[in-house]
Amino acid sequence: MSTWLAIARAEWRYWLRSRLALSSAALLVLLLLATTAVTALRIQAEADERHQLQAQAEAAFRSQPARHPHRMVHYGHYVFRAPAPLALFDPGLDPVTGQSIFLEGHRQNTAMFAATGASADLGALSGLTPAWAYQCFAPLLILLLGHAAVVREREAGTLGSLMAQGLSATSLLAGKALALVSVVALLLLPLAGSAAAAVVAGEAGLAALLLLATYAAYLLVWVGVALLASALLPTRAAVLAALCTVWLVWTLVLPAVAASGAAASVPLPGKLETDLRMLRDLRGLSDGHNANDPAFQQLRQDLLAQHGVARVEDLPVNLRGIVAQVSEQKLTATLNRYAEQQRAAEVAQAQALRAWGWLTPWLAVAEASRALAGTDLAHHHRFLHEAEALRYDFVQGLNRVHAEKLAYQDDVRRSSDREAEARTRVDPRHWQLLQDFSFQPAPAAERAAQAAAPGVMLGLWLLALAFGLRAAARRVRP
Amino acid sequence: MSVLMASGSSAWRREAWLLSRDRSVWGWWCVALLLSALAVVAGLSEVQQQRATIERLVAADRADRDATWQQQTDWGSAAYYSFHLTYDPPSNFAFAALGRRDDTAWKHRVRLLALEGQIHERDAGHPLLALIGRFDFAFVAAYVLPLVLIVLLHDGQASERRAGRHAWLEAAAAPAPGSTAMPSLWTLRAALRSAGVCVAGLLPLWLGGAAAGTDGSTLLGATAAVLAYWLLWAVVCAAVAAWQQAGEVILAVLLALWLVVAVIVPAAGRWAVDRAVPLPSGAAITLLQREAVNGAWDLPKATTMDAFVRSHPQWADQRQVSRPFEWKWYFAFQQVGDERAAALSQAYTEGRRQRDRWAGWVAWLAPPALLERTLQHAAGTDLPAALAYEARVRAFHAQLRNFYYPRLFLGEAFTPEARQTLPAFQP
Repeated sequence: MSTWLAIARAEWRYWLRSRLALSSAALLVLLLLATTAVTALRIQAEADERHQLQAQAEAAFRSQPARHPHRMVHYGHYVFRAPAPLALFDPGLDPVTGQSIFLEGHRQNTAMFAATGASADLGALSGLTPAWAYQCFAPLLILLLGHAAVVREREAGTLGSLMAQGLSATSLLAGKALALVSVVALLLLPLAGSAAAAVVAGEAGLAALLLLATYAAYLLVWVGVALLASALLPTRAAVLAALCTVWLVWTLVLPAVAASGAAASVPLPGKLETDLRMLRDLRGLSDGHNANDPAFQQLRQDLLAQHGVARVEDLPVNLRGIVAQVSEQKLTATLNRYAEQQRAAEVAQAQALRAWGWLTPWLAVAEASRALAGTDLAHHHRFLHEAEALRYDFVQGLNRVHAEKLAYQDDVRRSSDREAEARTRVDPRHWQLLQDFSFQPAPAAERAAQAAAPGVMLGLWLLALAFGLRAAARRVRP
Repeated sequence: MSVLMASGSSAWRREAWLLSRDRSVWGWWCVALLLSALAVVAGLSEVQQQRATIERLVAADRADRDATWQQQTDWGSAAYYSFHLTYDPPSNFAFAALGRRDDTAWKHRVRLLALEGQIHERDAGHPLLALIGRFDFAFVAAYVLPLVLIVLLHDGQASERRAGRHAWLEAAAAPAPGSTAMPSLWTLRAALRSAGVCVAGLLPLWLGGAAAGTDGSTLLGATAAVLAYWLLWAVVCAAVAAWQQAGEVILAVLLALWLVVAVIVPAAGRWAVDRAVPLPSGAAITLLQREAVNGAWDLPKATTMDAFVRSHPQWADQRQVSRPFEWKWYFAFQQVGDERAAALSQAYTEGRRQRDRWAGWVAWLAPPALLERTLQHAAGTDLPAALAYEARVRAFHAQLRNFYYPRLFLGEAFTPEARQTLPAFQP
């Protein structure tokens, strides 16, 4: 152990004397700190704005004047997705998915206004976030510091004398690894800061710790790769060329190839296409605006029989409101079925993408990071789900008011009779039925489960590299 | 020695011969060819998928509208219930730069209701793929191949220096006194290596262009832009490689340079432009439009009709609304709602255009972004193209209004056959 420490200390002394090592470390640390600060401020501002808009939308709905409840069904409501606390580190899908949805009767709208749609377009790599800096650029520093670890000793001829003094290759690699692990620990400090800030903002400690562990594992994979190349390849130039290639392929080429591959192998029907397919299937279904639709004849007969009356006008409830309730219920069941299909197709495409994680740990760390931060596809779907639950709740609440607080005679004459129309306007206190909306990420344990699959992938990458290093230790020659 | 002391043209031949036996260089050329080919194939496949999607949508949309019309008995309900597909087909160069087609919608279905409530709906692709970005030619050309050039060119002189051959090679390759000036050995080597990368990188683009039927001029322009960009990188790499430093130092400097122009300047520029050009919040447009549209139910009908007639004076004589509900009034307040939100909506569009213009200037400091934007512009997949599509959707909505207004305001009898004369969206 003391040998390991001595080797690690020697490595640190070497780095501290190297202008190259110091200046690259300074550049990267600056980059990490700057993106961490800028992203944290931006996400905080966006969170404030969306909370404010949400409160404004709720106040607007609840302060509407007296009117027909079905007008309120179409007046509708807006929900906004507030970013999760850890989004200040990994905004994930937040900038590419819409942030607000308009909720109204009979329809499930899409999420509108993605930030990328309105942002200045400065190329594919301009959306720099702390998570992305860790995923793509922190490895560069590790490669730069680690590439020379063994090959330097070999080129200088010191490897032979070290081994002649009885130093085993395993101890040498362990010492060098120890030095690089200490670099990883230092590199993780800005992330630890972000995680701590998120915990202060209400994030679960478990999610923050797991996020830290995920990035530690990922950076250790790079430590392993650097050491492996340094131990096995003959010259420094060869090591550098090999490591550069690995970095280029893992962080830039394969992720984009994977995205194109997933799009080609699992085609995704868009929402329009799914909607049109649904409309074709729905054509059988009835129109809830029209209580005389033949499809509602059975419902009408049942209601009359149930209340023992002969005429719709004598029912204690407004038939139109009942029809609105029943048709919204049936329609929503269908809408949900197709929305689920659409989401399942999106998940299938995401899984096709995940399979590429066996070829590059970048995909695994990115997925685990988004899952833990609460900014992944599952959370986008969670937002759509919660928005739909709220939509159904207030629309059916209004339909209940429609059924119970309005007289059928007034309701049928409101388009032609001004006084009847005035009587169909119900008291605005009914608009208080709208529930508050506040989007929260899933509980930390659920997010951890979501991150488990890519986490296991990262673990296997580490394991494979550890075995590779053990095998390499036997082959290290001066 | 006599070979090395030969004239300029034979120096080219000699270096070419040496290069032809260098397996690592051939390896990198193959990598460049493979990456470019992969990108072009992926782009072609994506464009073909988008075309197939549009074809399916057009058929499904017509079937849906036909079925909807069969149930209608008046113009108002026909206008209310029938949706119309609009779309922006990919250009014949879109395969090379998929651009904004990933995160902005290129297909919409609209109806006669207030457009501001509809046009921001977005049926975009998979958000995860949009986040990661596609592997298209523009990405390979702007970000990946410069890295290949860096790896290929950084060690040219340092490795010879390490091997102790540098001074000898320079002396040997120096032109004989009195002979015409010729490029140095190092320039020659860098030029040959980069030329191979250029050919390997461009070949798939030309083949893809031929397959997609791209215009010659577009292809030529793109080739010129890409060549100029790669030449810039080759010159920079060769210049830094001439520095008397170890290979790893040169590599680190070049990587840092790549990082600055590909990531740091674009990210900082984007942040700065977004801050410098404020944009009305998109939600503000839809909230305002909704208040205007829904508020109309509670306003005196004359208020709405007067506002409508101000922008549509031709219907001044038909402004009377006698019943609590009439379709012409309903669609008039939809239009008035749009007009109320028009200033905000225009500010939103103009702000996006302004941000894009500024981004175009900042891109001169970040050549990778500049090349990507240039290719996206040629491919019609940049923001101005997306905004132009939005404008076409607005124009189509106006066509729909022009079709329905006379029928609604003059109280014409409903004729189901009129379905055949409905305006059709022309992409």
